[in-house]
Amino acid sequence: MASSFEPKILVLATVACAYPGADAVGKAHLEYPANISVFRVPSPVLFPEDFYLRSYARGVDGIIIAACGSDCPYHNAYPKLAARIDALVKKMKTGGLEIERMRITAICTVCIKAFLKEVNEMDQRLRKIGPVNRDTAAKLWEDSRRGMCAGLNLPAIRRPEPVPVFA
Amino acid sequence: MIKETAQPQAASEEPRIGVYICRCGGNISDVVDVEAVATAMQGVAGVVAAKVNTFMCSDPGQALIAEDIRNERLNRVVVASCSPFLHELTFRTAVNRGGLNPYLYEHVNIREQGSWAHHSDPAGATSKALRMISAAVGKLRHAEPLDRIRLSNNRQALVLGGGIAGLKAAAELAGKGIPVILVESSSSLGGRVASLNEVYPTETDASDLVKKLAAQVMNHPLVRVYSQARLAALSGFLGNFDITIAVEPKAEAGPAPGVPLPKPAKAEEVRAAVGAVIIATGFDPYAPRDGEFGHGGPQVTTLPEFIRELRGRRNGELQWNGRPVRSVGFLHCVGSRQIEGVHAPQADGKVNDYCSRTCCTAILQQALDVKRRFPQVNVYDFHQDIRTYGRGHEDYYRNASTAGVVFLRYHGDEPPAVGPGTNGASLTVRVKDWLTFGEEVDVPLDLLVLGVGMMPRNIRDLIELMKLPVGADRFLQEVHPKLRPVEVSVNGVLLAGTAQGPMNIEETLAAASAAASKASILLGRESVELDPFVAEVDADQCIGCERCFPECAYTGALVAEAATVNGQAVKKARVNPGLCVGCGACVAVCPTRAIDLKGWTLSQFDAMVDGLVAGVPGVELKGREHARQTH
Repeated sequence: MASSFEPKILVLATVACAYPGADAVGKAHLEYPANISVFRVPSPVLFPEDFYLRSYARGVDGIIIAACGSDCPYHNAYPKLAARIDALVKKMKTGGLEIERMRITAICTVCIKAFLKEVNEMDQRLRKIGPVNRDTAAKLWEDSRRGMCAGLNLPAIRRPEPVPVFA
Repeated sequence: MIKETAQPQAASEEPRIGVYICRCGGNISDVVDVEAVATAMQGVAGVVAAKVNTFMCSDPGQALIAEDIRNERLNRVVVASCSPFLHELTFRTAVNRGGLNPYLYEHVNIREQGSWAHHSDPAGATSKALRMISAAVGKLRHAEPLDRIRLSNNRQALVLGGGIAGLKAAAELAGKGIPVILVESSSSLGGRVASLNEVYPTETDASDLVKKLAAQVMNHPLVRVYSQARLAALSGFLGNFDITIAVEPKAEAGPAPGVPLPKPAKAEEVRAAVGAVIIATGFDPYAPRDGEFGHGGPQVTTLPEFIRELRGRRNGELQWNGRPVRSVGFLHCVGSRQIEGVHAPQADGKVNDYCSRTCCTAILQQALDVKRRFPQVNVYDFHQDIRTYGRGHEDYYRNASTAGVVFLRYHGDEPPAVGPGTNGASLTVRVKDWLTFGEEVDVPLDLLVLGVGMMPRNIRDLIELMKLPVGADRFLQEVHPKLRPVEVSVNGVLLAGTAQGPMNIEETLAAASAAASKASILLGRESVELDPFVAEVDADQCIGCERCFPECAYTGALVAEAATVNGQAVKKARVNPGLCVGCGACVAVCPTRAIDLKGWTLSQFDAMVDGLVAGVPGVELKGREHARQTH
């Protein structure tokens, strides 16, 4: 794989733990690659698996779920999240999407080293395995949506209207 | 294929977005080419204004936003600046001053997670800033105005625990004119402190402290105290908790230390409504296992027992179990700072890896006390480290050294071993002493005092009942150790004292005061306002599949409502916004995306992803050529 490939890495960081943890890295003026971006989320337990698959289909090469782990402020949310990601990773594996693109970890508010380790490792891994196969991801996304609606007597999956975000 | 974001539903009007990029006096603009980012954003559809300012958080910076909202008829605002923890609220307020709903605002962090984290890659930092702002613009396209949640308020507080934390909190709340229900499980007030003698660093008598606090509470007409009672049931939410207190009179062995309470006449259940709950259930001293450092033997005791036994013994000879004591040892860190593989795990399989914080000074206070009262007794102190961290605490260390206490220092992974005594001594402590560079020393003792730390109490019923978050150390956990130190994720529930973790008396009283202040702020209003970031169900989209109900861990947050879908009776979901904590566990399982977290909808996250990967199509930013490498 050409070394010029810049993976697009998304970190989903919890408001209570990992997001302040990522802030702490910057406050210490420690560096990590700029192709790593952080979204603040209350708890990643809110994402259905099709959110991740859609993100891959849109061109996100790797996702790190930076959760609170056992420090999760929400009752029972972390084990639930872990189980959901476990199921997603199994689907990725059988569906032909490299499971290295998904990583779930716990980052505390002062876990500077852990944050740097996670993002750098993901970056190095993805530079080796190359860009995400967006078609494979899109197919998995469709399967996932279909699976979610199966047996519910729903009309065909309503696909979002394609609207250009940035004209 | 899904390539783009879903059309925002019920977009009230065409977005007119203002984007403001902060230089932060160079903190950002020395790395990020903010002008180029602004120029690029000006070309994005829907962006009406994209401007750069040296300090967006300054009065002129904030005024600029409000002016533009009025003059340019902005209906969405993005500020790209520092971390949202610093100024998100500042700009929400500024946006509101301009006449716009404060939740039509997005904050982008291009300092802590931009210029500061990528200072040697200005091009990368600039391109990332643009993509993150694009993501925020995408999110705002799907934003709806939100109202803060407003609920009526029962202006009364429940305090659980009649130790010093509970007493202090109750006294302060009552002093503020707020009625308090105080629930104490035993038949006296004062808790653990009631069993102490003089307490550091003031050397005041603990019983005086307890008596003073108890008098403030018991004589106050606004405080109702229930003894031998527990919280049996709790439902509801901030401002609206319905509680049931079970009063369960039982015989107690001998008089409990502390200020006695009248014995309840009969078993009863008392119902009440409160607006806030303060948890002051305290700690348990670590109980060593049989044989742990000789525990169980006649000449081995724990620090709390030692303190209790020495109460009132002022002069003469120090004796223990009828034997004269010529040498006494104090062992630090018993049940604290444990290491996996070195120390046996606790009942739940974990070791207590935390520091109990209070034992070092407490041990030195006792060691010094023994030296003063019984000068002929040899005193040994076995420690890993000495942590006399508070004001005045170091004096105990210094004075103990001067008074002739002998210090021996062990490594955590090689704790001292306690064996049988020789030459008339009761026991021997063998320690590898690192103050003499690892020399193995046998110390003959007549009494060994184990400096036991603090353990979280078994309050599992309360944790289950109130859905309280527990930290890795098994103590109750605050929302944020610095920003919200006495609040838990359940709104209206506050922590006071050692239920949260090891604290000394000063810290416990400070925490109790903080919890009382926080509660009085919550209860000072006619109604309660909450952030609007809770789940919401679109009833039209809900098909009544009922998958969300088992996901919700908060009783009453998701309400089932009978409805008919395609001629079939189903249960649709509705959210009780006062009980929903906004975790989003229900959102993930909804097949029709009928449930969303307000302010954090899945469409918004999809749009953010699209903005992030696309940036501004056609724009490649190079960044500053001569960025400073350091700050």
